[in-house]
Amino acid sequence: MELLPKCIWKTMFLFLTFFGVSRVRAQDTLVVDSVVLSNRIGLENILQGNVAGLRIKSWSGTPGTQSILNLRGLNLDPTDQSTMPLILINGVPIISSPSNITGINPLSYFSSDQIERVEIIKEIDLLSAYGVQAPNGALNIIMKEGKTGAIHVRASAFAGANFLQSMDYRKDAFYNFNTIGRREVYGNGGIVNEQNVIVDGGGDYGSYLFGLTNYQDKGTIKDSGFGRQSLFLNARYNISKEFSAHFFNNLALANRNGRYAGELNRDLLLPVINDESFFMNKNRNIGLISSMELNYQFSPKFKISSVAGLSYEGASRDMYIPSTVLDGNISAASAAYKRQLITVNTSLNYLHEFSDVLKLDMTIGNELRNTDNRLTSVDGKRSLENGGSNYVKVVTGYNASQTNAFSDHEIEKLVSFYGIWKFKYKEDMTVNMVLRTDGSSFYDNKWALYPALGLHYDLKNTLKIPVKVNASIGKTGILNRPEIYRGQLQGYGDYYGGNELGIGLLYPAFEGAKSVGIYQFDAGLAVDISPSLNFSVNYFSKIYKDFIYQRYLPNIQGIDYQYEMGGSLGLTGFEFNLDGKWINKGNFSWSSNLNIAAYRNKVRAMPADIENTSLVYLSALSKGDALTSLVAYEGKQQKVIGNSEPKAFGGISNTFRYKNISASMTLTYAWGADVAAESFTSKYYADNVGNDFPLKNAETPYYTSSTDINGRTIYQGIRQVEDGSFIRLNKISVSYNFGSMFKHMASMSNMEVFVRGDNLITLSKYSGINPEENINGIRKYDLSYTGTPLPSSVVLGLKLVF
Amino acid sequence: MKFWKFIPIVALSVLSSCKDSLTIDDLENRTVVRGYYNSSQRIEQAVVGGYVDLRRALLANYAWMMYGDARTGDLKVAVDYQQLVVKQELTTDQRNLKQLTDWGYFYDVIRDANDVLDIVNQADPGILNTYQRNLFRGEALALKSMAYFYLARIWGEVPSAEKNNFGLRLSTRESVTQAAQWASEAKGLLPWMLINDDGIESVALTGVRFNKTAITSLLVQEQLWLGKAQNAYELLNTSFTPATLDSLSGFGLSVGIDRRTEITQKPLDGSMLSMSLDRLNAIYPTGDARRTSMFNISTSDKMATLIVKEADVLELLPKREVNLLFAEAAWRSGNLNEGKTYLIKASVGATENYTVLTEETFADALLQERRRVLIGGGQRVFDLIRFGKVSKNIPEFTESDVQNGAANWPLSANSIKSNSWSQNSYWLSKN
Repeated sequence: MELLPKCIWKTMFLFLTFFGVSRVRAQDTLVVDSVVLSNRIGLENILQGNVAGLRIKSWSGTPGTQSILNLRGLNLDPTDQSTMPLILINGVPIISSPSNITGINPLSYFSSDQIERVEIIKEIDLLSAYGVQAPNGALNIIMKEGKTGAIHVRASAFAGANFLQSMDYRKDAFYNFNTIGRREVYGNGGIVNEQNVIVDGGGDYGSYLFGLTNYQDKGTIKDSGFGRQSLFLNARYNISKEFSAHFFNNLALANRNGRYAGELNRDLLLPVINDESFFMNKNRNIGLISSMELNYQFSPKFKISSVAGLSYEGASRDMYIPSTVLDGNISAASAAYKRQLITVNTSLNYLHEFSDVLKLDMTIGNELRNTDNRLTSVDGKRSLENGGSNYVKVVTGYNASQTNAFSDHEIEKLVSFYGIWKFKYKEDMTVNMVLRTDGSSFYDNKWALYPALGLHYDLKNTLKIPVKVNASIGKTGILNRPEIYRGQLQGYGDYYGGNELGIGLLYPAFEGAKSVGIYQFDAGLAVDISPSLNFSVNYFSKIYKDFIYQRYLPNIQGIDYQYEMGGSLGLTGFEFNLDGKWINKGNFSWSSNLNIAAYRNKVRAMPADIENTSLVYLSALSKGDALTSLVAYEGKQQKVIGNSEPKAFGGISNTFRYKNISASMTLTYAWGADVAAESFTSKYYADNVGNDFPLKNAETPYYTSSTDINGRTIYQGIRQVEDGSFIRLNKISVSYNFGSMFKHMASMSNMEVFVRGDNLITLSKYSGINPEENINGIRKYDLSYTGTPLPSSVVLGLKLVF
Repeated sequence: MKFWKFIPIVALSVLSSCKDSLTIDDLENRTVVRGYYNSSQRIEQAVVGGYVDLRRALLANYAWMMYGDARTGDLKVAVDYQQLVVKQELTTDQRNLKQLTDWGYFYDVIRDANDVLDIVNQADPGILNTYQRNLFRGEALALKSMAYFYLARIWGEVPSAEKNNFGLRLSTRESVTQAAQWASEAKGLLPWMLINDDGIESVALTGVRFNKTAITSLLVQEQLWLGKAQNAYELLNTSFTPATLDSLSGFGLSVGIDRRTEITQKPLDGSMLSMSLDRLNAIYPTGDARRTSMFNISTSDKMATLIVKEADVLELLPKREVNLLFAEAAWRSGNLNEGKTYLIKASVGATENYTVLTEETFADALLQERRRVLIGGGQRVFDLIRFGKVSKNIPEFTESDVQNGAANWPLSANSIKSNSWSQNSYWLSKN
């Protein structure tokens, strides 16, 4: 270090930070072993900052929670705000969103050590082939398979601790409310650890890989934590020269125990309680992902394959809230949610050569998708005066007379036919044509058609420049969930001594329902400046049409609404990705990756007379405004006060190697997102303040208006509109590889020791703990839709290869 | 490996893709309501739904009182917005009052009734027996008749919600005329006593569903409102005979749990309905037996609280009204003496000597007895309108105000949005 002055080192650090690595071409495929892994469980934490255009919002510090994933996603459906991409494992769709019951992240059912690579599918000429399953792009996780050789054993383990840096309890409380009780909840030093053992091998017969993993994360909330154990098998068997089979199985048990009511909602009924942590919330999940693929190669040109996939999740929760939290009442609840997704995808693949220069790769297929979800729940509440006891923690049989029971069963069926035609002209040009039709059990008019056309051209040969261009156009769709258009009978009242149920209203189902149409255009440019430096720029534009909404009817109709379709949204964006291998000399190498995405969503058209529709909450937005605008009243006028989505986001990664030492880091950033922070002290009943929101010093003049259960209007003041921009040292890892020391040892071939840190530094002006903690960009006064503080963690780990 | 072994796989895939596999059977697929009403029990749920919605129309915000006895100040309801109602400040920007000016809940009942008529018409022949078919149809017609009758009496002109003339402006007379037609049809269908699930006549069930006594009372009221006293008189005489005496039943709303929180579950609870001692003395003079039989009097609080005899039922068409209807129908048909006889029968406990009533004094006596006997039933304002005595009893109104529509309720913002409706001239002047 004495070789250069400090300021040079600092400049170099900044330079290294901002330009720089990985052997990944982040646009298409992320090779998992090439990036810094995360101490936090969940595939999305590995992808964070490494894929241009994939926004991962770490909203909660509760371990086992899924961060918000968004890959060019936008939605207006009030029952399905998810912008989650379709997640596939080896091409087979899986249940990937957490259930509402336990909230446990299904992307935590497998370990990062199992994953070979993740393919990112977002261009329409690839995406259309997935039809309505993938309106928000798709991530295809390719699992590692056994390598040639009799047997390899790989073991890895790490252990470390979580901590909250300079935790200010006032920031997590109601802006300085009940800080003592809050302080009791959080504690540093929650252990995080993982152990994996993987055995693999391969030969002419095929290959095998199996193993087991264990992961525990105690988080930073006392007496809580997440755990997951899994067993898996990935095997390929060549039954004959033509016929092969591929089996994948992953069985995971996951659990999360909570002791803190604030994980759900921090609007506690009692004003101050000494210890908020007395609460029981036991979550148990079982997740099974299984698939079987059969391939038969009739001839070198003709192949048939069939893949059956099964994704199952059983989620159960037992919850108990004591009287200290519920002001004299105790509450107990239990729920179970079983979800299953079965898919069968059969396809014929045919290769045809028209001439030496023109070739066709054609696939036609059929996909069946069957979802079956069953929910049962029971909950009860009783006051201490009426015989409740704080020691009653068992829900079963508890106070049956005041128990609510609920059961629901959902079935969805999707049948699809698709054809993919890839024309290849020389090595320069590829034309992709896709045609898919989806038939859904959701609609009376069942079938929808999704075509796409794409052109990819490499100018290297014709124009002698190292540039690839591509353009594609096509259509996909979003399934409008029946929750928003189904018919319903509303049973409202008991009659005749409670003996007879009165069904008050009959709403016919919307028979004209169909899926939302998405028209997408992509254009891209990739430049290989040198073998070690390349960049790409992609542009996309998506137009969404035909959302379903309710049209409120005149009050003489006897029913409140009927359904209509309409409205249009737009989403456009640029994604920039740069990969560079700056130095690769002898003992030292340095490589970097920089990616930036800038998206803009907007309202293109809204239904006429929007005030009389269920989209009334968007009435303040005019054409061109962002759908994600934060809207509030100022005086009697609604106006846009910010945008909850960032103007740009991305990541920067650098990897350095010197001899056996390797150091990698990933920074993530987002800028331009606004956070509207509600005020804890300016909340009023409108009738108490003469229907005029009283302005308060040191707070904005903005407020929102809502109605409580009794129909009284509530004004909620907004304390400030904050800048949610941040840059975060998301992941950093330093490792030492003992490889050469074990060269001559027969039993061990490699050993690596590493130290890894997560979320060590966040630079932001945001006044709360985590600038990404608000799901909707609104910091609610009761901190609902706001995550628990995101912890930092440091672990020490070891990898062994036998 | 032979190629043919793949045929079953391909065939299975293709066959399972046919349209049938995309249709989920009715039980599981709740995207379509069709097919729900496939048993008499379920159709009965729809019928009961009409009553539940009528309950909301009349119970939410103590509407039945606010449209009636509470508006004249005869009874006090222990809610603060009643003061606005008594002062006739009905266009005040107050949440409960705004809901009271909205006619939407009554149209919910009409929708329910029309749905039931459709459901009964479309029901498979085997589902309903004749008794059920007649009962459900009769109840639907009765509910519809009652809803329109309330609408016409509360707001005067109202829009039609019938398929053949949806939205058409109906005068009070037109509304009540069609209501009377439905009531008349219902009268032929409804039984005197209803049969419960065990197949036996049930007094309790009959008391909370439309029956022949109730529909006859309703029809008579409608005929009287239309000025067809002779029809009313004949109807009463042919319907209520010594043979039917044992089968008479009142009709009221069953009070109970409702999932819509705006509805009070115990509208008659405790001291909810009361009147000042001064007013009690004015209405029921000292010596009137009904002072103590109908009220708990507290001299220290100077209050009289209405005694609720049956907390589970809110009576709308009580049996005791039949004699009053007889009295009115007879008198208006020119039979003063018979009218007096029925009035005396109806006013047990009164101190007055009704035998001396003349053609001139009968109306006031009858109106006063209706006030006394039917107190708590929400009829008072409607009676004042029918007898042309609004301005005399509601001091806030002049006769010209009444001519301009003061006795009717103003229309809610919802009711006059995006259509040609507007407030009547009286309420327009109050805005």
